[in-house]
Order: sequence, then C-alpha cells, then structure tokens
Amino acid sequence: SCMNNNKLRLVVVACYRHLASCVGSCTDSLQLRDELRQTREKAQKLSAAICQHLTSHLRDKSLPEDQRKEMELLWVSFSSSLELLHVDMCKVFNAGDLFPLANTATLVKTGLQGGTEVAARALSVPDLNQAPAAALPDGLESQERSTMEQEIGRIDHMIDDMELKVNVLRWMVEPRGPQYADPLSSADSASLALLSVDEEQPGQQPLCQRSLVFVLLLLFALVSVAVTLSVCIVLFS
Amino acid sequence: MTIRNTLRDHGQRYRPRMACLKKAEKMLLEMQDPDTGVKSQPQRLVITTIPHAITGEDIVAWLADRFQVDTQEARSFGSMLVALGYIYPLQDHKRLVIKPDASLYRFQTPYFWPTQQWPVEDTDYAIYLAKRNIRKKGILEIHEQEQYNRLHKWMNHKWDFIVMQAKEQYRAAKERKKPDRVVFDCQERAYWVVHRPPPGTVSGMDYGLDRRVDPNADEVTGERREIIVLHILSCSLVKYCATYHSHDPFLSKCLPSNPWQTDDNTYWTLNMHNVEIPTKMRVERWTFSFRELLSDPRGRDDFRLFLKKEFSGENLAFWEGCEDLKWGTATQMKEKAEQIYKTFLARGAPRWINIDGKTMEITVSGLRHPHRYVLDPAQTHIYMLMKKDSYGRYLKSPVFKDTQKKAVCPEEHKFSDAQLEQNARNRRPSLSPIILRQQEQEQRAKMAANAPVDITQVMSKLSKQGKDGKELPPSRRTSKT
Repeated sequence: SCMNNNKLRLVVVACYRHLASCVGSCTDSLQLRDELRQTREKAQKLSAAICQHLTSHLRDKSLPEDQRKEMELLWVSFSSSLELLHVDMCKVFNAGDLFPLANTATLVKTGLQGGTEVAARALSVPDLNQAPAAALPDGLESQERSTMEQEIGRIDHMIDDMELKVNVLRWMVEPRGPQYADPLSSADSASLALLSVDEEQPGQQPLCQRSLVFVLLLLFALVSVAVTLSVCIVLFS
Repeated sequence: MTIRNTLRDHGQRYRPRMACLKKAEKMLLEMQDPDTGVKSQPQRLVITTIPHAITGEDIVAWLADRFQVDTQEARSFGSMLVALGYIYPLQDHKRLVIKPDASLYRFQTPYFWPTQQWPVEDTDYAIYLAKRNIRKKGILEIHEQEQYNRLHKWMNHKWDFIVMQAKEQYRAAKERKKPDRVVFDCQERAYWVVHRPPPGTVSGMDYGLDRRVDPNADEVTGERREIIVLHILSCSLVKYCATYHSHDPFLSKCLPSNPWQTDDNTYWTLNMHNVEIPTKMRVERWTFSFRELLSDPRGRDDFRLFLKKEFSGENLAFWEGCEDLKWGTATQMKEKAEQIYKTFLARGAPRWINIDGKTMEITVSGLRHPHRYVLDPAQTHIYMLMKKDSYGRYLKSPVFKDTQKKAVCPEEHKFSDAQLEQNARNRRPSLSPIILRQQEQEQRAKMAANAPVDITQVMSKLSKQGKDGKELPPSRRTSKT
C-alpha cells in the first residue's frame, strides 16, 4: 500500500510540474493558481502519510532484510520526489512574485493555448483518508503567498527531519527496474512527430517530405499540361 | 529559500551573483507588452498553428530601437538572450544565436528561465532523457546517450524513481492538447540545450566554480572608514578610466588600425621598443605618470638622454641595476649585487648615488648577505627622488618638447574588404622573442661600454685638473632630502 501511495504521489508531482510550467505564461490565470494550490495540497497530504509510514518502518530494527530493502528503495524514491516538489514550489513562488495576475500585459507569450486536463488527472488520485477536498475561499494573493511560504518551509522541514531520523545508505540501494523505460505507445508518438515536423532541424526527413510533395505537384502539373495539349490536338485535328 | 542539497556539501555551495539575469528578465517583460513589445505571428505547422512566434529581425529591430544602439550590437544582445535561454529558436534549435532574418523564435516560459538560486539538477536531466527515450526509442543523440549512461551509473539508487517519474510526466503531458504538448516539448528541449550543451558548444550559464559566500545574504553594514576608503578607490578608478579612455584600443580607435582586426602590422612597428620617432599617443602616455614613462623603453631612453644632459644619469642607472637584480637569475645575483655596490654605493664609487645615511646603512649591511630585494629601500628612495624632482623638469625640458614635436600621428587606415582579405593572406609571424631578447642584451652591453659621464666623474676629473689651479664649475647636483 505504501508503494501504491508512492506511485500516486509521483502522479501528483508530475502533474504539478506540468502546471508549474504554465505559471507566468499567457495561460496563467486564477484558475491555474487554484489548480496548483489543490495539487500541492494533495501532494502534501500524501507526503505526510508516506513519510510517517516509512519513518516508523525504517526505525523499526526488527524489520526483515528484504522488506528493509524495499523500504529503502521507497525512501529514496520518496525523498527524490520531495526534492522535486520543493524545487517546483519554490519556482512557482518566485514566478508568482514576478507575474502578479493583476497585470496581464506582462505575461510571457509562450505559444500555449491552455485548456488542460492535467489538474483533473492529479486531483483524481484517490485520497487516503477519503476526506473531501475543502474548497478554500478565494483568498487574496498575499494570503496565498504566505500559505505557500509555510508549505515550502514544511517540506523543507520534512526533508531535514527524514535525514535526521533515518540513515539510508544510498549507495547500497539497488534499483529494480531497467535502465531504459519501455516506450509506452507508438501511435501517439507518430502523430506528434508529424506535428513537430516543422520544428526539427532541417534534416533529411522533413526535406524529403517537402521535396516529395513538390515533385508530385510538378508531375501533376506536367500531366495536366500534357492532357490538355493532347485534347487540343484531338479537337483541332 | 534554497534547496538543501544533502548529497554534495563541500562548503563552496553558492552560485555567484548573476546580475544580468534580473536585468534580462525585466527586459523580457517589456517585450511582452501588446502595444510596445515585439510583434508576434502564428507559426503554421502541418496540422495546426501555434501562436506567439517572433522573427529574428523583429527582435533585433526592437532591441535596437529600445536601447538606441546599432543593429550589430542589438544582434549580439539578442544572441545573449538566446544563449541564456530566454528566447529559443524554432528551427536549428541547437545553435543559440539570433539570425536577423525571418527565422522564428519563441519566448521561453518563466518556469524554464535561468535562475541564480537553484542549480540545474542532474535528476531532472535524467528524467528528461528517459522521457525522450520513452517517446521514441533510440532518439537520443550520442552525447545524450553517454550522459544517460553516466547518470545511470552515478544515480543508480534513484533510477527506479527516475524511470517512474519520466513515465508519469509523459502520461500527464498526454492530458494536454496537441499544440500545447508540442510547445512544451520545444520548451523543455530548448532548456536542456542551454544547460547541457551539446559537445563543441558552451553553455551561456557557465559560471565556473561555486562561491563560499552567499551573494544574496544580507550585506554587513561597513564602518564609516571603509566607506571612505571605497569612495577614494572609486574616485581613483574613475580618474584612471577617464585618463586612459582614449588610449584603450577597446574603447577608442587604435591608430592607424588595430592589427587584430585588420591584420596590418603598422601599429606594432610604429610602437616598437627602440623606434626613433614615437607616436603622439605614446608620448602623451609618458605625461600621465612617472611609472608610465619608466615602463615604456622608448620613454626611458628619452629620460636617460635628458638625465645625461643634466649629469644625473646615475640615478636611473642605479634604478635599472636594481630592477635587473630583482628580476634576474639567482646564480648571477651575488655578482650583480657586488657590481652595483662597487659602481654606485661604495665610497668614492665612479657613479655614486646620494641617498640618506639611514638607507645607506641598511643597504650596506644587507649586502653582506645579498638577496633579490636587498636594494629595495635604496631603489625606492631613488625612484621617489627621480619622480619628485627630475620627472617634473623632464616634462618641461627641451628634450621632451623636441620629442613631442617630432612625434608622429599616423593616419587611420581605411581598408576595403578585398584589402582586408589581402592582409589576412599576407600575415607573417613576428620576430621571435629570443631574438628580441638578444637584441636587448646587445644594446645594454653597448650602453654599458659607453657609459654616460656623470657629475662625479666630471668632478673627479676636474678636481684633478683643479690641482693645477683651475676653477671648479658650480655643482649642479640635484637636491636630496
């Protein structure tokens, strides 16, 4: 169950990063900030639970060896994801400074068009305690910022605490998975590649496609000219 | 707020102050203004259009207009923005320069802007590479492959996390609309081109080693004395800059032409050590300070000529001897010191210099065990003497005025492109420093052979003649303190 929780937490952290990358861009809005806040709170809740669970288990000296190894793996994964979340939160905090939503003229035109379901994916992760997500009132931005500061401090504290309480020898931890992740689905990548055809360096592939289209058009033109000529000859002969 | 990096902590952990980043950010925000900012246009791809693409020429024009500079400077400014990662090219994404034509660029999202506070983590890079591999196997380039393997070795304990997080980020990205996904991919790719540059290129964010002191920490309020010292230093710095402004080849034109730019050696041949007629700029530099005069060989020659006429050449000769001792080889030090003592310091020496009794005592006692700096007090004394006394008179002397009049001011070269190419083809290596040093030594030997006549020699000759009853000419010794 701890492993599952960790996996869910990874989902939330990944979504948070995607949302964070929109802050300050032209799709930044109160809604985005709200989604960020909710995602963040979710991550915090999951973190607190996992932290407690892991710490208590790893401090238990009577833990069997293979379970301990698993716990240590989880520990490493959890602490890395905590650090990732910490960076993202700090970046969002700083970006909030630079881009107050009151003045939309300075939002960076990044080419994004918004309308994502990323937040929905994060928030659909099942809660541990089944407590309903409290719809917080639309506080002022300053209030939001102070809560954010507190939460960043809390995560900082959590990282420190974890390091103090449990000593995991990172070099002894061995990963279970492969070096290269398996590709998830090839259909999607093909369409994306088509989209980004113009983006790539003028390499061989796009050039071939372009020149192919050109040649086809030329052939078509030639064929049509030949057809019209022959029709004319037939008509006037 | 800093991330506590628990893995590496050697005491040097602060990134240096990168003041340019804050300034660049401010400028980026100005560029976004819908009325006065850079014009954007939609970028047409095969299936869809993505807004907010900007052309290189628009960026350069905006910068030139905003800062009132010429296009060349605006171009290098724009390239700096691209190199730092605030704007990224859409075509040819690995070359981080601004092309002042219709090639397209886009603004980077603030999340991926370079910061001074947080270093770019290898974990993120590993996740990014894993993600790319998930999207299409084998798409990683060779250097990225190598990096991936290296990170797999060094971050082995985190590898499960990295792979899982890469998968999650990939899945989360699928929740976005296709154009947004393309944009995000471009943004991420541009970010990593800046911070993990491909081999053969340099990252614009390269700052060297970490620092021991946090530049963002509150500065300690200094005492008043420190403030005064700083003020004096800054004033002298300003004065130095003002004085040397026209002589700096970066800030003003180099006459006749800068050899590094036009491949024409005239500037160097006109300013050689032993040139007969110096340039006007060179002569002007001699008036700035005594140190300038002495450090320029041609200036020193001129000064020596003046002192010869004044019969006080022994001061300069002694000073040069001391310099020789300081910078010479250790094996010859003892002989040199003895030679200098015999020539300048001993009682009844042929070129006796007049230094005060205390310094003479220190020097003579030091010469019992000579080392490189044994003549330093005496040298300083003589230097200050020359500076306060002879230098002033030199600048008003006919010798100097003559040199000033004869000094040449070369015409500025105006080479056409064809001529520049011709010059580049005719480049030849300069005279070897070994040969130059040999010439210098020969010259020095020649000078030592016909040593100028000093007042002591004149006096001693005349005193010998005076025994025959002739009058002694009035002594023209320089006053000593």
